[in-house]
Parts: sequence; C-alpha cells; structure tokens
Amino acid sequence: MRTLDEQETTVVFEKLYKFVGNNLKNIVENPSHEGPDPNPGRYCFRLQKNRVYYVSESLVKRATNVSREKLVSLGIQVGKFTHHGNFHLTVHALSLLAPNAKHKVWLKPTSEMSFLYGNPVLKAHLGRITEDINSGDGIVVYSMSDVPLGFGIATKSTKDCRKSDPNSMVVIHQADIGEGFMIDDGFVEFGTSVYV
Amino acid sequence: MGEVESQKDTQIDLGNLMAYNPNHHFASIPSSREELVKECLEKGTELAQALADALFNLPATEDVDGPIVKLPPPTTKLPRQKHLPKPKPPTKWELFAQKKGIKKRKKDKIAYDEKSGTWKRTYGYDRANDEDDVPIIEAKPSDEPGVDPFAKRRADKKQRVDKQEKNRLRNLKQTAKAGALPRDYLCFQGETESNSLDSHVQLAATALPITGSQAAPKKLSKSELEEVAGTAATSTASIGKFDKKLPGEKPPKNKGKNRKFLPVAEGRGMGSQEKEQTDKILNKLISKHSHETLNVDKAVRKINVQKEKKHKSKQDKSSSTSSKLKPKKKSLKKSSNKGSAKKGSSKSKSKLKSSKSN
Repeated sequence: MRTLDEQETTVVFEKLYKFVGNNLKNIVENPSHEGPDPNPGRYCFRLQKNRVYYVSESLVKRATNVSREKLVSLGIQVGKFTHHGNFHLTVHALSLLAPNAKHKVWLKPTSEMSFLYGNPVLKAHLGRITEDINSGDGIVVYSMSDVPLGFGIATKSTKDCRKSDPNSMVVIHQADIGEGFMIDDGFVEFGTSVYV
Repeated sequence: MGEVESQKDTQIDLGNLMAYNPNHHFASIPSSREELVKECLEKGTELAQALADALFNLPATEDVDGPIVKLPPPTTKLPRQKHLPKPKPPTKWELFAQKKGIKKRKKDKIAYDEKSGTWKRTYGYDRANDEDDVPIIEAKPSDEPGVDPFAKRRADKKQRVDKQEKNRLRNLKQTAKAGALPRDYLCFQGETESNSLDSHVQLAATALPITGSQAAPKKLSKSELEEVAGTAATSTASIGKFDKKLPGEKPPKNKGKNRKFLPVAEGRGMGSQEKEQTDKILNKLISKHSHETLNVDKAVRKINVQKEKKHKSKQDKSSSTSSKLKPKKKSLKKSSNKGSAKKGSSKSKSKLKSSKSN
C-alpha cells in the first residue's frame, strides 16, 4: 500500500472528474467519522497492487499492520491501473460516483436487465436523461426507482439523442452491478458487497 | 642599365600568374636585415610590375567590370602536394589470369533474346536469356528426389553473390594492407572525412578487422554521449555527490529510478503533505475545466423560461383587468356567458396554460 504520486493522482482525478465534475471536491474533502479518533479524519486514495482504494485515514493507519502481500483490499476500490499506466474505474466506484454524479440516465424497467448483462444503453431504453450531456462525458446509469445500476460513457449529446433513432447507442457500458455475478472472481470483484 | 638587365632575366608564367628571376644575384650582400627586406621588396615590386605589363599586353575583351583576358596554360610544373598513390596489388583473379594468359575482353552490352525475339541488355532486370526466368525446368535422370530445382537455383545464385562479396572484401583488405588505399579512405584515428570514394566500399573497408591497424572507433550520437557522461559522473564512490561540477555541467539525465512517495499514514506532528498535493491537483483540474462551467445553452434556456413566465403572468393580469387585448373567441364566449362566470373561467384557463409550460 502506498500513496499515489502526482501523476497517478492526476490520472485518477481526471477520470473521476468526467463523471462527477466539480463534485470531485466533495469526494476528496469528505470527512470521515471512522475509528476511535474524536476528530473527523479524511478520506484518501491509496494504491495497493495496482488498484486504487478510497479509504479513511484511520483505516489506513490500521491497515499498515498488514503486509503488502497479505493485504487483499481495504476501503472502497475505485479502479485499477493497467500495465500501461491507464486508469480504469471498477464497479465498486459506483458508490462514490452515484451520489455525486453530474450526468445521469434512467433506464426503463424493461431494459434494466439488458444493461446488467453488459450491453450498451440504446435510445429505446432511456426513461429519462439529464440535460447538457456531451459525447464523451461519464454517465451514471440508474433504474427508474433511482437505484444506481452502473456507469458508462456517453456517445451522444442530449440534443443529438432526441433526434437519433431508437436503436442507436447512447451510453457505452463500462461497469454495472451485475458484473460480480458474471465474473465470479471472489469477493473483490463482487460489486455491491464491498460497499463501506 | 640594371632595370634593362633585370627585365631580360625575368621569366613570366602567366598561367600561374607568376614572375621570377632565376639569375638574380645581390651585388653586395646587405649588412642589416632591414636593408635586405628593403631590397627584396624592391625586387618584388619590379617583378610584379613585369607581370602586370605582360598581363596588359594580352588581348582583352571589354566587360562591365573592366577588361578581361584569357590566361594561357601554365608553363611551370608545380610539385604535387601529396605523394603519388601506390599501385594497387593485383587481385587474386588478376594473378590467376596473368598466369593462365587470360585477357580481358569487352562484352557486348546487348544480346539477342531468343525467347522474346528481341535485343535486350545482358544484365539487370529483364535481361537477355535470363536463366532465372525459366518457368519450367525439365527433370533429368540425375536429379535427386526431394530437391526443389527452383529453390536450388535461387540458393546457387545467392551463393555466387556471397562468394563474390567475400572475394571483393578480401581484395580490399589486401589493398589496405599494402597501403594502396588513400589514408582518409580508411578513417584511421576516427577521422570521418567525407570523400569522393564510394561510401559502401569505404564502409566495407572500415568494417574489416585489419591486422596491425587500429579499428575505426564509432562516432557516438548525442544521446549516447549523454548516457556515457551520466554513467561516468555517477561512477565515483559517492555516486557523484561530492564531485566538483564543471561550469555549465548539467545534472546527469539517466538518473536511477529511485522514487519516493509520501508517507502512507501521516503522524500527528507531521504536516499534511498529501492534502497539499491533492488540493493542488484538484485546483489545477477545476481551473482547467473552468471554462466549461459557463453553460451557454443552459443560461439561454433559463432566460427563455423566465421570459415566458413573465409574459404569462402579464397575460394573466391583462385577462383579469382589460378586455381590449382578449382574443375574439373569448369575446364570443363572453356574449354567451354571464359576466361573473366568465371571469373565473378565463382565469382558470390561463393558470392551466402556465402550469403546462412549467
């Protein structure tokens, strides 16, 4: 476990900024009330085995007692650095993104399953969509009952979306809470269970 | 008298623009150096004057820049700067040909190609009677089974070319050993003067490990030099820490990857370095995207909605107070309905409209 260096932090923040915009400040400056300390600590980002975790400072202190090899996971996993140095968000980041999301899309109940099986969101699936989305923005996908289902990248702006035909793609699928069932790679990959 | 005599003895070579007097003797050897210099200058002036006279006697053509003369070919033979090149030692083939009495014959450049019935060059692409171009090779009883005659033909050709290259290099090496190659040809002592000789021959010659001669050192590129310099600078006992820096010396570029990270968990007494770092990056990121915060579309939409609301409320008022601006339809209704009922209905209608717009 180690802190992110300047370049890595920039990469992580830029990726999160795509989804949450200026709400990133809320994520970074979020006070934590974990641990025995009466003063509220902060949340910070830590790197462990190429994965980035969003952890409260008190938990970090306690996690230093576990050796690097033995430490499987801590806090909320945000994403991972690829071998090439790119940063990918993982499903677990949904718990961070959902309350702060800037661009949202609500799916019709009939098309929820399709998204949870890893398919992109088509225009026909859309129940609602926030204004002022540009193509390339990060989008959090909700069900009609406001349950966050996953996230992805917009391929169309809101304006273009109105004109386009119902079978055209609107959001490219990146991660969803159905992933844990399909990948079945232990509890680390299990999306909703690592919710802190 | 002296002048006439000197003019007689003066020899002029106009081709080299040179004048001299081979029979000159000093009447009395001058005592001091100053006098000698003076006399020499005098003599030189005379000679220069003689040369100028001869020049102006030549037939001249007028030009914008003045008269132009054509100089005759030089008559004086000047010694050459470099010694005569040594004769090249004969190649192995030349020795063999001499022994056997083989003489060089000129070959025709073109030959009759029987296949196409035309005259073609005897060499290169599309040559006459090209044996590589034969599409069918007849099987012979002496052929070994399992050998591809086409592949064999190609391999043979390659072998011949390789053999010739080997011979060429051997001869070149022999020539270099005998010292018959120009000095800069071999680029000894790292000299890389360009010369008129064929560059690949030169390369071949320098690539040879010539016995008893220094191998030509390779010229390092800038990046390679920097790397070497960096390695050398950090190869002391202190890894270059306490070495005196030369003026203008830059820190070595190929520093080792000795990365340092902020502490994982900060103690109570420590400053919040990590917070500073994240805040710095966050502010940078937000300021980078700050131009996006002003969303023109959104602003226009907001203003439009406000205007519409205002307009609606005005209409609301006008409908309740003045009857002049009302559309005709309503006036028709008015005639049918009673006054008190009319007021309420129009109000409710406008309310409905505004709620729709919202």
